[in-house]
Amino acid sequence: MITAEVNLKEMSELIAEIREKVEHLMKISGGMQCVDRNCERILASVKMLELNISDVVEFLD
Amino acid sequence: MQVKGIDFYWNPILETLPRDKLKALQFKKFKRIVKWGYEKSKLYRRIYDEAGFHPEDVKTWEDISKVPMIQKSDYRDAQAKEPWPYGDSLCVPLEEVTEYHQTSGTTGQPVYQPDTWQDWELLNEMWAYIIYAQGFRNTDRVFIPFGYNVFIAYWQGHYACEKVGCEVVPGGILNTEERLLKIKELKATALMATPTYVLTMADTCRNKLKINPHDLGIKKILCAGEPGANVPSTKARMEKAWNAKVYDHVGGTECGGWSYECVCQPGGVHVNEALCMAELVDIETGEPIEEPNKPGKLIMTLFDRLAQPTIRFDSKDVGMWGEDCECGRTFRVLKGGLHGRIDHITKVKGVLFSPVSVEEVVRGMPELGDEYELIVSKKGDADVITLKVELSPGTSATPEMVQQELSRQLRLKTNLAYKIEFHEYGSLPRYEVKARRFKDLRKK
Repeated sequence: MITAEVNLKEMSELIAEIREKVEHLMKISGGMQCVDRNCERILASVKMLELNISDVVEFLD
Repeated sequence: MQVKGIDFYWNPILETLPRDKLKALQFKKFKRIVKWGYEKSKLYRRIYDEAGFHPEDVKTWEDISKVPMIQKSDYRDAQAKEPWPYGDSLCVPLEEVTEYHQTSGTTGQPVYQPDTWQDWELLNEMWAYIIYAQGFRNTDRVFIPFGYNVFIAYWQGHYACEKVGCEVVPGGILNTEERLLKIKELKATALMATPTYVLTMADTCRNKLKINPHDLGIKKILCAGEPGANVPSTKARMEKAWNAKVYDHVGGTECGGWSYECVCQPGGVHVNEALCMAELVDIETGEPIEEPNKPGKLIMTLFDRLAQPTIRFDSKDVGMWGEDCECGRTFRVLKGGLHGRIDHITKVKGVLFSPVSVEEVVRGMPELGDEYELIVSKKGDADVITLKVELSPGTSATPEMVQQELSRQLRLKTNLAYKIEFHEYGSLPRYEVKARRFKDLRKK
């Protein structure tokens, strides 16, 4: 398993921050569709980062 | 088994995760999706309630088998009502659905498959695992010789190429000759197609365009839709015809692209166990199978597809576990990919018969063309298997010469006798997507 070359915990924290910021952007968009719909797409990509990185962190030593 | 470098894998963490940690991750995700299905889907709730099952009953790994399975017919029965057309199988508000697809309907009325944008991203992500493991990189120009439509085939191949950074050429509207000429013109380096169409394209290239497929410069071919890329003789034919590496994958509408052959070509496909779970169970008893080389039925769960989840889906596909692969992935290998469907594995003359084993024999004989057709019928009380084949163009062999050896090999492989018919080259049906070469006329 390759873990020595990357800091997964730091990556996971950053991913959580990205989610938080994008969700905040949606909150302050005033319902502008050009913001909300693009944020939805970003969040789907954030979810992929969570599945690839964040979900596994708790199982690593 | 040795772990390779970080850029050898799409996800070097998940793909090389030790089995105990992978299992723990799977268990967490499994419980999460079962809870989702129960809380959000009227269909799953009904099935679970009728079976007296509650998501909290899953406390240990062994409890997984207590979760009721879902059948294709369950989706079908829950659909074609409001919210139209997904009915009780839908788990999200209809306005969150951005993608529509459907199954082919070969086993009945098609099943409608809704996906949210996030689901769609997930399906494309699964395909990114597939193509990256097969060596697709941002230096590749990938030609896809199919039109994408209501069926899920090749959509994700296209989007996964974009994700990995390949340049993707959608060759849907063209005919076979035009596609081949476009591949030549653009100097495409990779191709995605069904095994049947890979062979058809090579044949057209040689015999109609008078071009050796080798000269087109295709280096790798991803196969989908049929088991051929893991039938050794079919794979060998394709690799020889194109002078390219041919890789298999298995996927479907309900489960996405859940498995892939890697560049090490281990004689099977890795199950993407980070994003889904494949349980292999005994066809008769339903008991879990963990040991290699024992065929069983695959029960599939996709962990994070939300609009219409796939939880312990009875795929009716037959597979068997194989040995570890040298690529360093800890994802288990299904030896030989899929071995067909339960509804295709049938008793003929009292013997268990799988049509894929006939393909292996036919494609292993260079005197025979790529196409064949297999028909099981009744004559009185006796089963009759008719095998229709074509001689390869240019072969010096006669039907009489080939028939004896073909019969001998079929007998060895399947323990059955066949009525063999030789047909003129090019007269048997040609297919582009899923070939239907096996017909059981006894099922009326």
